[in-house]
Amino acid sequence: MHPLLKYVLIRLAVYVVSIWGSFSIAFIFFHMIPGDPIATFVATVQQQYGYQIQDADAMIEAYREMLGLNGSLFEQYVRYLGNVLLRFDFGPSLINFPTPSINHIMRALPWTLGLLGISTILAWTIGFLLGGLVGFRRNNPFAAALTNTALVFSQIPPYFVALALLFLFAYGLAILPTRGAYSATVRPGFSYEFISSVVRHAFLPAFSVIGVGIAGWLISTRSLVISILGDDYLKFAEAKGLKRSYILGQYVLRNAMLPQVTGLALSLGFIMNGFYLVEIIFNYPGIGTLFLTSIGLLDYNTVQGVVLITIVVVLTATLIIDLILPLVDPRVRLSGN
Amino acid sequence: MILADAWRRSAYFRVGASLLSFLVLIALLQPWLNGFLIGESDPISMGNFKAYLPPSTEHWLGTERWGRDVMALLLVGLRYSLLIAALAGSVATAIGIVIGFVAGYKGGRIDATLRTMTDMVLVIPSLPLLVTLAAYIPRVNIVTMALLLAAFSWPFTTRTIRAQVLSMKERPYIDLAITSGLRDWEIIFAEILPNLLPYLGVSLAISMGAAMLAEIGLQLIGLGPGNINTLGLMINWSIRWGALGLGKWQMVFAPVLCLVLIFVSLNLINIGLEQAFNPRLRAVTGE
Repeated sequence: MHPLLKYVLIRLAVYVVSIWGSFSIAFIFFHMIPGDPIATFVATVQQQYGYQIQDADAMIEAYREMLGLNGSLFEQYVRYLGNVLLRFDFGPSLINFPTPSINHIMRALPWTLGLLGISTILAWTIGFLLGGLVGFRRNNPFAAALTNTALVFSQIPPYFVALALLFLFAYGLAILPTRGAYSATVRPGFSYEFISSVVRHAFLPAFSVIGVGIAGWLISTRSLVISILGDDYLKFAEAKGLKRSYILGQYVLRNAMLPQVTGLALSLGFIMNGFYLVEIIFNYPGIGTLFLTSIGLLDYNTVQGVVLITIVVVLTATLIIDLILPLVDPRVRLSGN
Repeated sequence: MILADAWRRSAYFRVGASLLSFLVLIALLQPWLNGFLIGESDPISMGNFKAYLPPSTEHWLGTERWGRDVMALLLVGLRYSLLIAALAGSVATAIGIVIGFVAGYKGGRIDATLRTMTDMVLVIPSLPLLVTLAAYIPRVNIVTMALLLAAFSWPFTTRTIRAQVLSMKERPYIDLAITSGLRDWEIIFAEILPNLLPYLGVSLAISMGAAMLAEIGLQLIGLGPGNINTLGLMINWSIRWGALGLGKWQMVFAPVLCLVLIFVSLNLINIGLEQAFNPRLRAVTGE
């Protein structure tokens, strides 16, 4: 078998196994939560709307059946895997009763994927290139200044930057919108008004993620490049009289790229955490905001759906990165490891 | 010993450690400082002063909606935030040490299993899980909060420790210890652990930072415990009351600035420790 084909097949198998593994972990997790989600929900309904429920037990029983929480734990597990993996069905949402929660999630997902995907890729690329340059020319005073600035900025969580930007541009200068993904006055569609409104609304949330991301990737790439510069093959390349720009592109950045691509795959979950909070601050209609709404109302199905979709998104992104790796690293391409 | 070495060798460490010690000192002196700031009254109890007073010599950062002195609340928040971070960070580091050592030292199948598990926890976004737990657990106090946070911040530490143990294990003096018939635990405690102390410092700083981030995330969206007055909770209140729209920017940015200072100082300590104890890096940077 061709080593590359073998690599791809192994990666796909790992993907399937880790989806199953993390779904099982999530199942156990949701069943370990102390207290009874349905009893809590019924109690909330009674309190919030002042309903007196005559036959609360029968109602709880009905809900339990509807949510697939009846029967033994093993029966529930099998039914859950079948519903979720085969039919993509998380059950009805409780926020908006008969609508399936998957509809809510699918409506929110494109916003999150679009904004998060674009800003993560931009942040990584700019940070990587700048970090390479700064590491390569580290005695330059400008590079040192940039490094120290990035050192401070890389430690600021994106949602703090979001708050500062919100205050400055949306409340202070009032030139950019504070919330939502497009203004209520434009009709969604393929028109200039709609697209420009989407871009204007995406600007602040995207910038808070990108700014912090650039600083973080810059710092890690810089230290990687500096450790590469100490290697003997670089002394040899210099002794051969190769141009410095050629050394930077072909020797330094190519070697730094592999660990940084892997690093991106590993930090996706972390990036996602920060992004959810940014969404919530800007009230962006993505998965993070949906999650906050559904957890506030104890919408068990939607909460579970959001957690699972998040896991799938992160694992799929990791898979894509792993499939790109052979393009970057000839070792993977040739040996299949 | 190690701290003195790092102090001598790295300017980053000097800046970071001074900053963090200063913040910890303020947090420790909080009851006394608050006595000086607002007298005998309890900083957390409501209605001590008029609401929304502007900053003045009496109330350095003004007062908030419930008539509490923002500066006094900030000091209380700093104390609780640091306390939770220290607790959660220590627990996470302890878990990381155990798993990292077992994985790195035993190797083979045990290592592969533990590593896959760690990577899985690392990759799964922890915030939704943490929020879900916090939403369904009825009463959370400082200790349960710290344990919850630690449950999701140990994978960072585990990865660092495992990588170091792996490289330590290959050193000649460990071979010598094995051939001279030392037991596993003797090798771990007498030979490997002392050499890992700087990395334990790094791990502690990283997991403290991760725990604080998670805590702020939880508080920011209003699902953290409302009875523990941390800096994150202060930010949440200010946002919920529309402090930015009212132009009361100091109510949001004072706690944010405090947290940023803590993060920056932790990171500087990290860089300093790496710089002082990673000879390869030192040879390259010439510092």
